[in-house]
Amino acid sequence: MTRVTLTINERTRGADIAPRTSLADLLRDTHLLTGTHLGCEHGVCGACTILLDGAPVRSCITGAVACAGRSVRTIEGLAEDAVVAELRAAFTAEHALQCGYCTPGMLVTARDIVLRLPGADEARVRLELAGNLCRCTGYGGIVRAILRVLDARRGEAAPVRPAPLPAARFAPRLRDTGAGTGVMDPATGAPVAAPDAGPDGAPDRMRQVLMLDVPADQVWAAVRDPVLVVECVPGARLLSRQDDRLVGEMRVSLGPIQAAFGGEATVEYRTDAMSGRLVCRGQDQASGTRLSGEAEFHVIPDGAERCRLEMDMRYALRGPLAQFGRGPVVQVFATEIARTVGASLQARLRGEAAPAPPARLGAGRLMVRIVWRALKRLVSFRHDG
Amino acid sequence: MKPVAFDHDCPVTLEEAARLIARPGARPIAGGQSLGPMLNFRVARPDHLVALAALAGLTGVEDTAQVITLGAATCHAAIEDGRVPDLPGGVLSRIAGGIAYRAVRNRGTIGGSLCHADPGADWLITLTALDASVLTWTPSGGRMIPLAGFVTGAFRTVLAAGEIVQAVHIPRPGPGFGWGYVKACRKPGEFAHAMAALLVDPARGVRRLVIGATGGAPVLLQGVRADPACVGDALAGSGLGRVERRMQAVVAARALAQATNGRVMPA
Repeated sequence: MTRVTLTINERTRGADIAPRTSLADLLRDTHLLTGTHLGCEHGVCGACTILLDGAPVRSCITGAVACAGRSVRTIEGLAEDAVVAELRAAFTAEHALQCGYCTPGMLVTARDIVLRLPGADEARVRLELAGNLCRCTGYGGIVRAILRVLDARRGEAAPVRPAPLPAARFAPRLRDTGAGTGVMDPATGAPVAAPDAGPDGAPDRMRQVLMLDVPADQVWAAVRDPVLVVECVPGARLLSRQDDRLVGEMRVSLGPIQAAFGGEATVEYRTDAMSGRLVCRGQDQASGTRLSGEAEFHVIPDGAERCRLEMDMRYALRGPLAQFGRGPVVQVFATEIARTVGASLQARLRGEAAPAPPARLGAGRLMVRIVWRALKRLVSFRHDG
Repeated sequence: MKPVAFDHDCPVTLEEAARLIARPGARPIAGGQSLGPMLNFRVARPDHLVALAALAGLTGVEDTAQVITLGAATCHAAIEDGRVPDLPGGVLSRIAGGIAYRAVRNRGTIGGSLCHADPGADWLITLTALDASVLTWTPSGGRMIPLAGFVTGAFRTVLAAGEIVQAVHIPRPGPGFGWGYVKACRKPGEFAHAMAALLVDPARGVRRLVIGATGGAPVLLQGVRADPACVGDALAGSGLGRVERRMQAVVAARALAQATNGRVMPA
């Protein structure tokens, strides 16, 4: 627990809270200021908007610990506020609420519009309201209510221009051009291109072709060995295997994003064609993100000593992770993984040391760790050839 | 949802902050307007959060004839409100004013946005076009990293463990420069589906077009390649489909129209 003391509605309040506590939960659960509403809890709906040192902020994505020593004003603390009093009357006159869930956040935002943008027209009011969702009114009444208050206050003193930020001196430093500029091949450090999305522009399909300096029959034998394949997935670890059943979990990290997918898979092999099909399904327990995918793979000889491993993949990401891993991001990331698998597979088949970076995709300090972990789901392989 | 349990450290010196963020499982947080939702969704699960926004070393502004330097903890709203020096035409203020929503701009910081390295982030795209750099701090000194080399992929940068972005160094373009910035959003404040920023600086012979909202780092096209006609080819390896590439070319053309204001400017 952490002791946090701050000013809430002009009173000094202290509380012992878990460090993860949001400002909204501190206000609602500890201080019973339930006028601050929680809608989405990820900074989109605006219902939890309060004033922090006089400026509107989302209390659901503001950590309470970071507010120590600062001044918070909630809707309860605006009961006597002159602008909010005018807004309340205007909201009533214009039918600017129905269920009332969004209203505390709407009033805090509306007050900010009135004080900061006294010349706002309807278009500007609508733009400024874009961060506060209302599912009842269609916004017409809310916009009219705010315009009514703006009109009533026309001709009053212009808002005070906020003071310039203080001057500072930043010492010059040596220029270092960095290593960024795109996706890096984990094996070579060279920029790589992701495959194009499908012809219809759907970002959930991709085609990956790995050129391997290994004879086709060796690659085919390797592809048929799930233990070997899993070991080639960056950081992958197989925890147990019963006959054809493999058990594991895959841990992914991309910058601040982490996921641990437990899943099950079925593989069919068509030996005469050196091709096959993989179907898999997994879930990240902590976030509830679900991942499902299918891959057709095909080993094609290219002379006696080389071959191509072609994969056509289709996948679907559903749930919280999909909100951050927008289509192209997932696709480029999947490409990085596939390339690492290819490099690792080739190295193993040629008896070379596996390339170092399975544990480190990209050139940044943020490691991309992909580790099979925890036995949550069964992975079963079915052979038919 | 509630985030996973973590420690929340509030260091008061850069030395302490550098040591704390270098620990395994530690994650720096500035305004938290991007990391906050990730925490609440539990797609980010740090053991330690280290608050940087209140560090004195990351605040303040320095203004010279050549360069505007903004402390990394400068919030978007302060830039929107003209509380810091700006480029002619209010370029920085307009960029800041287009980020998410006012309540987010009051908390989110310019340095935090760059370090988060979301491919759809406004500052990452626009400041790369403006040839800005980050000034980093480490106990042994720090470095100046041009944004064109700062990001290695979605959500990843070249920052070393314990390295802190202290300020953002924005060179002033030459007289008569042109600037265009266009993004395609279904709703104001949402992440863009396509975004293009273009700097045309004839006095310096510079022309930089940056495409954002791809699957990775911003795509920088310079000189004669800084042209909407080159966008489709440049995005062949971006993870974008045909429709998205077309949208990118369209916003690039609009950015060019803004930057040149109908004039023909030398490539």
